[in-house]
Amino acid sequence: MRMTRRSVLAGGAALLSYSMLASSALSQEARLRVLWWGSQARADRTNKVNQLFQSENPGVSTNGEFLGWSDYWPRLATQVAGRNAPDIIQMDYRYIVEYARRGALAPLDDYLGSVLKVEDFDKVQIEGGSVDGKLYGVSLGANSAAMMVNTVAFEEAGVDLPTPETTWDDMARIGAEITKAGKRKGFYGIADGSGVEPLFENWLRQRGKALFTKDGKIAYDANDAADWFAMWAAMREAQACVPPDIQALDQYTVETSPLSLGKAAASYAHSNQFVAYQGVNKDKLALNNFPLISKDAKGGHYRKPSMFFSVSAQAKDPELGAKYVNFFVKDPKAAEILGVERGVPESAAVREQLAPTLDELGRAMLDYVSGLGALAGALPPPPPSGAGEAEFALRTVAEQVSFGQLDAKQGGETLVNEVSQILSRG
Amino acid sequence: MAAVQDSAVAVGAGAKARPAAQGRLAAIWTKHGAGYMFLLPWLVGFFALTLGPAVASFYLSFTNFDLIRSAEWVGTANYVRIATADPKFAASLKVTIVYVVLSVPFKLAFALLVAILLNRGIKGLTFYRAIFYLPSLLGGSVAIAVLWRQLFAGDGLVNSLLAQFGIEGPSWISHPDYSIWTLVVLSVWQFGSPMIIFLAGLRQIPTDMYEAASLDGASKFRQFYKITLPLLTPVIFFNAVVQTIEAFKAFTPAFIISGGTGGPINSTLFYTLYLYQEAFGNFRMGYASALAWILVLIIGLFTAFSFLTSRYWVHYDD
Repeated sequence: MRMTRRSVLAGGAALLSYSMLASSALSQEARLRVLWWGSQARADRTNKVNQLFQSENPGVSTNGEFLGWSDYWPRLATQVAGRNAPDIIQMDYRYIVEYARRGALAPLDDYLGSVLKVEDFDKVQIEGGSVDGKLYGVSLGANSAAMMVNTVAFEEAGVDLPTPETTWDDMARIGAEITKAGKRKGFYGIADGSGVEPLFENWLRQRGKALFTKDGKIAYDANDAADWFAMWAAMREAQACVPPDIQALDQYTVETSPLSLGKAAASYAHSNQFVAYQGVNKDKLALNNFPLISKDAKGGHYRKPSMFFSVSAQAKDPELGAKYVNFFVKDPKAAEILGVERGVPESAAVREQLAPTLDELGRAMLDYVSGLGALAGALPPPPPSGAGEAEFALRTVAEQVSFGQLDAKQGGETLVNEVSQILSRG
Repeated sequence: MAAVQDSAVAVGAGAKARPAAQGRLAAIWTKHGAGYMFLLPWLVGFFALTLGPAVASFYLSFTNFDLIRSAEWVGTANYVRIATADPKFAASLKVTIVYVVLSVPFKLAFALLVAILLNRGIKGLTFYRAIFYLPSLLGGSVAIAVLWRQLFAGDGLVNSLLAQFGIEGPSWISHPDYSIWTLVVLSVWQFGSPMIIFLAGLRQIPTDMYEAASLDGASKFRQFYKITLPLLTPVIFFNAVVQTIEAFKAFTPAFIISGGTGGPINSTLFYTLYLYQEAFGNFRMGYASALAWILVLIIGLFTAFSFLTSRYWVHYDD
């Protein structure tokens, strides 16, 4: 066939119209984009559930994407800004207020009871996903802050493992003993937690204080913060914890914590990260609550939704989104795939189903979260906007104290000043 | 299929109608059309990906845009805050200027040294040139920044070497007194592109000058000081300006090495990193845009200053 200008044009136009036909056929199929942060293990489980959802809902296709925690938030923010938000958004307690108030999330109240059957969820955990009286996030699991302990290192040093009654005084003594035992090279008792916000919050709550008030103001004073920094300065002095330049290697990820780097016998994290921590540590780990300020202290811990699924306000079909979320937290087959990787499931039925099937790690996590008893208090209100910056300020001031640029008292004043300013700016 | 044929006919008819009317424009098109077509990919890129966003960010710098809600005009509030009430602006600017002042001279000196060594007519020059250029290609990458973390961490390679001499080094990358130096060393290590330019500059210097000088008994050092350096000043000037701008814009190494925090204690908080934190960490896109325009201004001032002083020390032969 001889190619003429006309035949090429006609051919091109035909191709164009075919491809338009094809794309209009595709758009008949509902497509759900799901975005989450987390490890490869989480991605494998989530993708499996996505496939299951597709096969049970003909005509629906899912498309999953995942990133690490720190890359996740810039990506999500740019996608929302570009009117290209994923339909299903994994959301954190820290950000849910910010996203909900800015109108980026769809309220799910209309689907409660019909599509979204979360009646057997703990009431407090449902409220955790509510902002200004509307439900914006469904909890994917409960967790609590926890200390990760290297049991082998404790044994080597000949000291007893921490117990639920262990106080900060005990911890300082034990830490110094482990360092002194010197069984490993460059190894110390515990990680320097002076800049770790959940640990600071736990300590404040035992004192009857908190990080933030209900209306988003600072809820502790310079004396509290100064006492906190002074406690850590004493532990640093006694070499109960790692030196500041080792602690500064910690980027607050599983892999860079002093525990995983083989620098300390204990570190601070969240209970649902237990699996991930054990994954990168050869020695057997154990979970323990954070130390107490005195033998009879209470209420430092709290059970919180480890993360939520939210439906984007830009989603074409929010009802389908709600259906997907319901499938994720309620379907027995989905539950079997997901296990307790995102925390202890909120649904009582799912918990019962999973309990006998759990491995040792999952068991330990479930027991830890459900066995906190009086150590756990009420869920604090969601952090106000600016909370992320406030966390950053704690870390920076803690470093200024640990590297000797400020003493504990100056550190306390600086921190309270900076956090108050950040919160008033919003 | 009928619709397809119709549209093809319509296109054909349009093509035939073209040459008749608009005389001047058509003439320009016939003369320069091909040229513009070749420029098109660049023009599209420039307008859509560079100029457009730049104009948008200038507008946004006068708003409180938070990435999600629509932007509200706030006048010069962002600029006022930068100038009067932002301690982190001052801190990050200081870190950046220290970085520029340390890294650019060291890098240029090192690049010149290697270029002079390579210019002595050694065998396999192209091979060495390629090898020495390699870090410049790799240096900005995430992989190298991660490698740097491994090298300069507490029990990294550098401290293992120091331990051989009985020195117990700190964790260089996570100590506020030393962390900036690890970034400077990383920058100096990427000496490839100024080196290539120096090498080309060195080859421009006529050899008879050196011959005449050595006949007069000038030492090698004196020859370098009296011939090489003066004749190389235009190249040094060029490299200095380019590298200064690059150093101001540096982002990746600090981002990766500090895990995005700029820590410890803001010791690696480059200006660009602070800007990024404000934009994507704290959702202050308007404020970050204002920071970006201040950076443009600062780089502009530095460059203008370089050009103004250049007449006192740059020697042009012609």
